[in-house]
Amino acid sequence: MEFISSSLHAALVLILAFDSEVVQAIWTSLYTSGCAIVLAAIFGIPGGLLIGLNSFQGKRLVITGLNTLMALPTVVVGLVVYGMLSRQGPLGDWGLLFTPLAMIIGQTILATPIVANYTLAAVNGADQRIITTAMTLGAGALQSALQLLKEVRFGIMAAVIAGFGRVIAEVGVAMMLGGNIRGYTRTMTTSIALETSKGEFAFGLALGLVLMTVALLVNLFLNLLQQR
Amino acid sequence: MKAIYTLQNIQLSRGTTFTLQVERLELMGGGIYALSGPNGAGKSTLLGVMAMLMLPDSGALHFAGKMVCGKISERKKLRRQITLVEQTPYMFEGNVFQNLAFGLRLRGTRGNQQRRLIVQALEDVGLGGFDGRNVRELSRGETQRVALARALVLRPKVLLLDEPTVNIDDKRVSAFEELLIKLSQQGMTIVFSTHDPDQPGRLGAEVIRLREGWVEDAPERGLSPA
Repeated sequence: MEFISSSLHAALVLILAFDSEVVQAIWTSLYTSGCAIVLAAIFGIPGGLLIGLNSFQGKRLVITGLNTLMALPTVVVGLVVYGMLSRQGPLGDWGLLFTPLAMIIGQTILATPIVANYTLAAVNGADQRIITTAMTLGAGALQSALQLLKEVRFGIMAAVIAGFGRVIAEVGVAMMLGGNIRGYTRTMTTSIALETSKGEFAFGLALGLVLMTVALLVNLFLNLLQQR
Repeated sequence: MKAIYTLQNIQLSRGTTFTLQVERLELMGGGIYALSGPNGAGKSTLLGVMAMLMLPDSGALHFAGKMVCGKISERKKLRRQITLVEQTPYMFEGNVFQNLAFGLRLRGTRGNQQRRLIVQALEDVGLGGFDGRNVRELSRGETQRVALARALVLRPKVLLLDEPTVNIDDKRVSAFEELLIKLSQQGMTIVFSTHDPDQPGRLGAEVIRLREGWVEDAPERGLSPA
């Protein structure tokens, strides 16, 4: 118990002292996850909306595919993107491997199915009259779809939060595509894995606390928005 | 009077059991028409076709002399001359003003003119001063009247109403019917569905009777003999 409490104390000291390595890892995590979730929202929200609003052949198959992708292990995504970006891979010339951009690509792939699926669920659960009401008032297809998004905005927010939660907490993609390079691609999660294996439990705990705080802040923000 | 709607050999299947079939139906501009018939007769489906929310599987629908085709932009242009108030209207999140402003904004009406039109429309339905009310705080009757105001504020050529008085208390019904008569006198075509056998008479409406998807009876100039 003393080990935990002394580690916790050391962790708090590291956080409050704005230890440069801790700050760098936090920044890299927030930057890569933030970029990835923006991209995932750009692809996933319209994707979920299109699937939800249209009837087409193979729709069930697409939904099953999305559900499967939601459960995709992060190391598998890391492995596939690694294969594409490594020197021998088809995109090897771009020199992206072990850069924050490679991590963003992998995390976008992880988050997009989540955002799309949650959006789809929000659209499917929405009142069917939203679209017809907008149309009878003169809206076109795009304006009606935008109004629908506005009406189900809390579902969409949940989609983005869930996607963000997935990417900020993952290790596989960040480790395989970022390479855990100190001061460059080292994130909170890869730091936790590395420092704990080195026996630096306090450092790992400090980042763990920050990770939990970020999750808490994001959820508080969502709650605040819902109350408005 | 010119025909505002001409429906010819319209067929529209919904599900596996119901098909709306209209051999020929012509509605004149500025008239009041009542759709009557039992539940499931096709009143709401016919209103949906007239509102251009549903495209018939076959047949021809003409609106104001123009053929309604599958082209989305063309249909949108025609649809902007029509509004449909559903039996249980949906209110967008927010307040009454925002709901009434929705259609006006789409038509580029903003600022003072928008406010003036909204205030007038709310007064027309007896809800003056309701503009700041949250729609979730409205009673069913008030919701129905706000939905009517939301349609009227757009000054449509055609007003389609699906059982408009079903949620309105008896005291308000006569004021509502007077408003419909006034709108018709101003040249608006009104088509409404009803279960009240006396309502068409009170409004001087021509009755189109439906049964199991068929137009059973309609005003003579409105229905060509088979």
